[in-house]
Amino acid sequence: MEIGLKFEELSNMIIEGKHLDAESSTKYLLEMGIDPKNILDEALMKGMGIVGQRFRDQQIFVPQVLISARAMKFSMKALEPYLVGDNALSKGKVLLGTVKGDVHDIGKNLVAIMLQGSGYEVIDIGTGCSAEKFYDEYLKHKTDIVGMSALLTTTMVYMKTVIEFFKEKNVMVPIIIGGAPLNQRFADEIGADGFGRNSYDAVKLVDKILNIN
Amino acid sequence: MNSKERIKAAMDLKPVDKTPVMCQMSIGHMLIQTGFSPCSFWFDKDIFAEGLLKLREMYNFDGILISLHGHSPNWKDQIKNLRSEKEGEYAELINGDKIFFPFNDLPQYTFAQEKKIPLLNEIALENLPNILDYIPVSQDLHFKIDLQNKFGVIESIIEKAGIEYSVHGEVTSPFDYLIDLLGAENALIALLDDPDKCKMILNHYSNLIKELAVEMCATGIDAIKISSPFAGAGFISPDDYQEFVLPYEKIIVEAIRKENKHVYIHTCGAIGDRLELMFQSGMSGIECLDPFPLGNVELKDAVERISDKGFIKGNIDSVNILLNGTKEEIINDLTERIKIGNSKPGFILSTACSIAPEVKKENILLLKEVADLWK
Repeated sequence: MEIGLKFEELSNMIIEGKHLDAESSTKYLLEMGIDPKNILDEALMKGMGIVGQRFRDQQIFVPQVLISARAMKFSMKALEPYLVGDNALSKGKVLLGTVKGDVHDIGKNLVAIMLQGSGYEVIDIGTGCSAEKFYDEYLKHKTDIVGMSALLTTTMVYMKTVIEFFKEKNVMVPIIIGGAPLNQRFADEIGADGFGRNSYDAVKLVDKILNIN
Repeated sequence: MNSKERIKAAMDLKPVDKTPVMCQMSIGHMLIQTGFSPCSFWFDKDIFAEGLLKLREMYNFDGILISLHGHSPNWKDQIKNLRSEKEGEYAELINGDKIFFPFNDLPQYTFAQEKKIPLLNEIALENLPNILDYIPVSQDLHFKIDLQNKFGVIESIIEKAGIEYSVHGEVTSPFDYLIDLLGAENALIALLDDPDKCKMILNHYSNLIKELAVEMCATGIDAIKISSPFAGAGFISPDDYQEFVLPYEKIIVEAIRKENKHVYIHTCGAIGDRLELMFQSGMSGIECLDPFPLGNVELKDAVERISDKGFIKGNIDSVNILLNGTKEEIINDLTERIKIGNSKPGFILSTACSIAPEVKKENILLLKEVADLWK
């Protein structure tokens, strides 16, 4: 079979969330001697790209995104041994966390999934993160972007504390925010570098900040 | 018309003398405005009841929503020690759990033993609880229902205010119990991986919630709200709603309607694509209807589509209008919503989601002030 069709087949497995099929298909392509980067770009990322667009257009919803992400994860498990050490395969590194006082992580996790599906490396530092934690983890991982999430109106204000903490330390990494009660006006007020209304927006925002088409 | 009659008329889709006003409040807001100890407010029936009554009076609302019930009179026995700090109270329980009670938000638990979330294949019907003894309030936060004192707080409030004001209780959607049981991500994946198993779990919880709701009706409550925060387009499609939410909420709605009580469903976020679908449950009204940007419901559109099916309670943006708006913006927003809402019978002015914690008292007082101008 033509390789293009094989890529399309794998891409569709990602879109449909067939994780076991996606894993075997990836292994098969590797055994055929196909360049892992091509498998990643032409099948997996393409598939997740379509998933992101369909999610944005409300053709699919969170459960469908989650099973696609799982299929992507299974494929990546097969691909990873072949990708080690090749930094060019990651579009960039993003640090993600929910701010102090907030235990909600569904939105953040969804952003992480979509970013990973789009080729970013995500460092997820969990929930209830203080400014110090964001800063320490940033120093440790030297990410290209820091992303903060909050669901509560009481905790969203802490995002400003984090931004100011980074400024005090003279660290100029772009900091972006997201969460149900937030909006662009709030992002501007606290000096954030961007606001994503949903996980698809978040990926587009990261692409834009890092000048990735 | 007194307040109780006004709300009842609106719920019955009958004319009212003036626009009824009744909001649900976040626990954080209640704490800030009452100044009660957050630990006591959470655990103590009398303090919680006193807070709700005080807030109703403060804002001159026509009704009271009792969002938690089942307080144990022996709650203090569970507390090993309690200390107050600048940012809140810290409690250590006898079982080793620790709870931080902020002065402006829900409590946060740190469990002595890591909470194990079961996988779908580990769940068997016989292992599910046969009695409902908790309310899944938020992520990692349950409110334990004392089975000997299930409705003490409701009875107390009805006794003190039930003649004059509309008193509403609350139960949680079966879909929320499923999410709580498996964790959000696993539960949402499970809908696609094993829909039959999910339906079995949903059916099980539906029957338990139904029993609880029917018992609640016997207290003399005026209406019951079904809290269903995960059923909007932010999470699931209309098709999944029809398959995994509607049939199970319908079981509860039908049981409450059979008791001649009103019942309304509250689903946060974007629900514009499923308003009619939600009414297929047989509910007598709908609450929330978050407008853009929190949701996607235009009140005018909602009134046109569903006002003949039941009452509408909402759709003020608690964050972008009440919390962050100027006085002028708030008055304009309220005026517009009242004008649209009152174009058909059955409108109750309310915030969409709960009043956010830091919303100023004077902003909330505007609700009743503006509503009273519109007969």
